[in-house]
Amino acid sequence: MQEKSYKILFLGRMFLGLVFAYSGYTKLMEPVENFQGAMAAYEIIPYGVIPLLARIIPWIEFVFGVFLLVGYMPRVSAAVLAMMSWSFVLLILATRFMTGALPADCGCFGEGSLLHFSPVQVVCMDLINVFVGIRLALLKDHPFSFSAFFK
Amino acid sequence: MKINFRSIRVGILLTALLVTSVLVLRQHRQVPATKVPAAPVAAVPFAPLAKVKGPDNAPVKIVEYSDFECPSCRVVQEYVTELFKNYPGQIQLTFRHFPLTSHKWSAYAHQAAECMNLQGKFWPYHDILYGKQNQWSVALTPPLEFLTQSAQGLGANMDLFAGCMADVAVTREIYAEKETGTVVQVNATPTFFIGEERFVGPKEVKERMENAIRKIVGLPAKPVVVEPSTPAPAAPLAQVAAIPSAAGEKKP
Repeated sequence: MQEKSYKILFLGRMFLGLVFAYSGYTKLMEPVENFQGAMAAYEIIPYGVIPLLARIIPWIEFVFGVFLLVGYMPRVSAAVLAMMSWSFVLLILATRFMTGALPADCGCFGEGSLLHFSPVQVVCMDLINVFVGIRLALLKDHPFSFSAFFK
Repeated sequence: MKINFRSIRVGILLTALLVTSVLVLRQHRQVPATKVPAAPVAAVPFAPLAKVKGPDNAPVKIVEYSDFECPSCRVVQEYVTELFKNYPGQIQLTFRHFPLTSHKWSAYAHQAAECMNLQGKFWPYHDILYGKQNQWSVALTPPLEFLTQSAQGLGANMDLFAGCMADVAVTREIYAEKETGTVVQVNATPTFFIGEERFVGPKEVKERMENAIRKIVGLPAKPVVVEPSTPAPAAPLAQVAAIPSAAGEKKP
């Protein structure tokens, strides 16, 4: 990988890490019921799993988002975040096709956060995230990272 | 395979640091409280009143945990009204406050509704709050003007209303009521209960609740209409399918 192309990927890494770290952080700072409510708006998610998912997802987003930012296990972190982005895309599309409607707010960030996207906007962003995440996961060396330091 | 213990140690430390920071920040984060006017009016003697609609001898007793700012709760009102229309005298509905902290003006709306409840005008006010949710919930500042004007429009005693809006005892009662929901593991709004059976969200209310009511009043189950998945569907999609009642399914 040439240094020039990594500069762009580095920006992608920062973007992906920041988006997820912020998303997880804002949710963790709020009562879990907020995120549960946001998930319940996607009517295809079984209610039984919502409480569990609402407790796990923000931690995964936050921890792996920060991991990617600082470059600790960047390949694994990028792969996890890419998978999460992809699952959000699938969730939004499946909800749209199965119920014919989408919630007004994607619920990706906490209610008190500065960012609020509609599901359509978030699908676009998540597709970019999937692309960046896969590229980062396939990349062997990640300069400016914890991993490089431990080599 | 060579294991890099130093890297693992750093990973564990990093994760511990992140988790600790979040937990500490969360504990020290200030939860915005309901604003109380600087010079509070004398508190209204407050005795919590149940918010009940429908006759006491109704065979179907429904309990609803709802948030005035939640869009799903607004949507579900249409179905509830329909149920009252279709089963006159058979249903009694008890409303319980479940203001979500994430909804910034929810606390104000619930306080106002409870204040109207004290004046025996809860249900018309309830209908205004849901009916005009799109107006007041998007306000950038607390929608006190809307809440006051709506109360005035219903002929409320405005001195009592103003005093009640500043009464912390009312706020406390609202959150005590919310707590009764938390105890029975309400984790999303709206949540309805008929006895032990739980219905969460408009979809469950629409698809299952009517048949639960019919079962209690001794009527045969109604076939459930499967909604088309696209806005302009072809005719075969709008089929009617009889879905067996699934009591206990999807319970959180």
